[in-house]
Formats: sequence, C-alpha cells, structure tokens
Amino acid sequence: MANGVGDIVRFENVGMRYRLGAEVLHDISFSLPAGSFHFLTGPSGAGKSSLMRLMYLAHRPSRGSISMFGRDVSTIPRSELAALRRRIGVVFQDFRLIDHLSALDNVALPLRVAGAKEGQIRNHVAELLKWVGLEGQIDDKPTTLSGGEQQRVAIARAVIARPQILLADEPTGNVDDDIAIRLMYLLEELNKIGTTVVVATHNESLIERFKHPCFHVEDGLLSGPGIATRDDWKPAGLQ
Amino acid sequence: MIGRVRDVPLSGDPASRYLPWTVGLLVFLATLAFAAGMFLSSAGDAWRQNLSGTLTVQIPVSDGSDRRERVEAAAELLRTTPGIVSVRPIPDSEIAVLLEPWLGKQVLGLDLPVPDLIDVSVVRGADIDIAALSARLARVAPGAVVDDHAIWLRRLTEFTRIAETVSFAVMIVILISAVATVIFTTRTGLAIHSDVVEVLHLIGAQDSYVARQFQQHTLRLASAGAAVGFLLGAGVVWLTHVYGGRLSGGLLPELALGPLQWAMLVALPVAAVLLVVLTVGITVKRVLGKMM
Repeated sequence: MANGVGDIVRFENVGMRYRLGAEVLHDISFSLPAGSFHFLTGPSGAGKSSLMRLMYLAHRPSRGSISMFGRDVSTIPRSELAALRRRIGVVFQDFRLIDHLSALDNVALPLRVAGAKEGQIRNHVAELLKWVGLEGQIDDKPTTLSGGEQQRVAIARAVIARPQILLADEPTGNVDDDIAIRLMYLLEELNKIGTTVVVATHNESLIERFKHPCFHVEDGLLSGPGIATRDDWKPAGLQ
Repeated sequence: MIGRVRDVPLSGDPASRYLPWTVGLLVFLATLAFAAGMFLSSAGDAWRQNLSGTLTVQIPVSDGSDRRERVEAAAELLRTTPGIVSVRPIPDSEIAVLLEPWLGKQVLGLDLPVPDLIDVSVVRGADIDIAALSARLARVAPGAVVDDHAIWLRRLTEFTRIAETVSFAVMIVILISAVATVIFTTRTGLAIHSDVVEVLHLIGAQDSYVARQFQQHTLRLASAGAAVGFLLGAGVVWLTHVYGGRLSGGLLPELALGPLQWAMLVALPVAAVLLVVLTVGITVKRVLGKMM
C-alpha cells in the first residue's frame, strides 16, 4: 500500500490480543486518507470493535505499528495521548452516556476535559443539540431519552470538539431504519466539512444505499480497498 | 467544577459515605497522640530545667551533735565553694509540705528522723567535683550526701524520649491508617465508576482531570471529618490542661501547650487532609496509568 502523506490513520502488520488470550486481529495493514468515509463490516465477533478500539486509542497493539495523524502511537509519551484522543470523536456501540448528567453536560464533556471556558460551553452545546434535533431535551437525563435520542446525544458528544476523525461503532444498531438513514446523512454532513469518518456496521442495506468504500473483517483479518488478501500474500521465502 | 454536577458521581458511593467518620476518628486519635508527645516533651524540658543547675545536700539525723550547727557548717562550706551561686537550707515547714502527700498534715508532730535538706544552685555549666565536695562535707556534717540528680535526670530523659517517640510513632501509624483507608476508598470508587472513568479517558481527559474529581470529593468529606475530629481532640487536650494540673497535685509539671505547639496541633488536621487529598491524586493516577 502506498505511504500516503495525507493519511490520518495508518496500520502496518498490526496484531492484537486481550491480555494473554489468543490474537483477535492478525496482520492488519491499511490506511485512511484525510476526509475519507469508510464502512467497516463483518460478522459479529469478527474483530470490528477491536479494530475500532485500536483506532480510538483504547488498546495497544500486541505487534505492528499504528500511526495516527502522522505520529507513531507507540512512541508518543502517555501524557500526550490525551491530546491525540481529543482529535478523535467516538460514537460507542452502547453510546456510553453518563446517566446522572443531562444531555447538555454529556455533550459538553469533551469541551470540559479540553479546558474550555464554561461561559462558551452552554451556547455551543445548545446549538449542536438543536442541529441534531434535541433542542427540547437539553436538560433531560439519558435514562429519560429514547434510543434514537440517546444516539444523537452520543453523536453530538463525538463531534462537539470538531474531531478530525469520527469513529462510529454500530451506531445504527439500536434504532429503526428511518433513524439509521437520518443518522447516516448526519455523518455525511460531517464528512463534507472535512471529518474523516469510519462507520462499523453490519447493516448491509445502509452499506448498499450509501456508496462508500467498505473494509471487511472476518476471523481477525481485514480485506478491502487497497488491501492485499491472504491469497495474494506469501512469506518472503516462498516468493 | 463548582456549581455543576461532577462527571464522576462519587457522592452516592457506599465506600466514601464512611470517609468523614474514618478521617474524623483518625484525626481525633492523631491529635491526642501528637498532643501527648508534645506534653511529654514539655514536661521533660520542665523537669530538666528545674533539676539541672541544682544540687541537694541531705544531712541525716544523728545522735550526739547539734543538728542546727551541722547544717550551718555545711551551708558555710558550700557558700565558699567556687561555682555555687546560692545555698538555702530548707526549713522544716517546707519539708513538711513535701512530705504531706504521703504522711499527712501532722508530719512535724510525728518526730520522724527526717534528714535536713540544703538546696544549692550552681553556675550553669560549672564543673563541680561532687566526690570531693562530698568528702569535704562529710568532715563538717558526717553522713552528708550530695545529690546532683544525674541518675534521675538520665532516667527521666530516657523515659520522656521513649514516650515521645512512642506518641509520635502512634501518630504516624494513625496517619498511615488514614492513607490506607483512602487508598481503599479511592480504588473502590474507581472500580464502581470504571465505565464513566473510561469514557472520560477515551474522550481525551488527562489523568489529572479525573484525579481532580476524586480529590475535590475527598477534600470536602475529609475536611468535614478532620474538623470535627480535631475539635473533639483539641477539647480533650484542653480539658487535660485544665483538670490535669489539679489531679497531679504539683507532682507533675503543668500539662500545657505553648502557642507554637498549639499552632502545630492546628496544622495536624490540615496536614492530614492534604495528605489524604495527595494520596487520592496519586492513587487515581497510578490506576489510570495502567490504561493506555
């Protein structure tokens, strides 16, 4: 694969295991150019979420190297990783909203951890919640919101700090098709203004409807645009 | 952070509910141990100050010679000895007061063979040869004994030093217990709220941001507990000062703390709270340090 200067994510021969368990991802190599939109698909348990965890810096690879924003993650001091994470927006599979905080406070979290002034936060967050259609639920707690509303809060939280890349792990898993399609339009809007987007999903209809390049994970192996398949690859000694 | 809900909902935690009580009890005990150490230190100093620079000459009762003459002769010899500042034969009435706690008010009427005592003050640092002085005194007052309190002072110094060390060691153990309790509480809090902490971590919160949430919560609880524990402890110390003097009947130096010692005592709960808050910060950062 060509070494793209504008790549926002670059994996080279990455393997991953949880603690001392078996490897769940094997020899993953791919790159994402800035401003791209990709789907990541594959059956349940294939390794989609593990791959996403590597991208949002929740887990270290057991081998290989990962570059984010042109920097090798393994050489970045731990104290600088927090700043790197702020450039990544994440929509978690189960949203992971904080139940005792209002929708506004949940969305405001990335700004607060970045040290934004309180005076600027409320207006900015309220504006974004209006954009995702939740202007009437600003002070509501997540437990009082529907699944679709919670999802929009999660998306608002992921994009409030204007991340360079947005990683959405099964964002349409808990909502009906109409909301899923509206959500995809929302993500496309973000992509149009320059945000790199990766959506992990196994919703085939969405993948067919929105024509974006698609990576496929199965048995811990990745295939897709620009990626050599296992059949193409042979150990150096056998070539 | 003030005026809005904390990101990590620590206020409802069962573990932190007991934190003020635990910190309060430990600060109360630490206050008593610290005050006891300072009381002993002051008492030791007072005893040493009273006894150093003094000698006591005892002249035993003996038959066949005039008691008053022997005391006068001994006093005269002492007055002419270099290094001695003052010589004061202790009158019978004062000796009776000294013996009163043991023998009652009618001690003079009992006709007991109570030795005569001479109180001698020496120049501070003067090197008086006690053996030579005793030999000279024996010639004018047979059986006279010179007591420079050396043995008593040495034992007293050793005792107060050991007691002080024990008191401060107890205080240190109590503070270590507070630290251990807080580490446990903080780790429990981190485990209970691991999902929230992980979200904060993944959206880019520095470890110090998460630590601050725990520290602010602990500061509030520990301050309340430490204030109550200290007030109760200081109250006991004050009562000891007020009533201890009456109970000791003049046998012990006054159980009182000076302004500097009170200041140190007031600094104890402040230091304890700072220690607790610092411990929380370190604990949170160490746990988070295991995350990527």
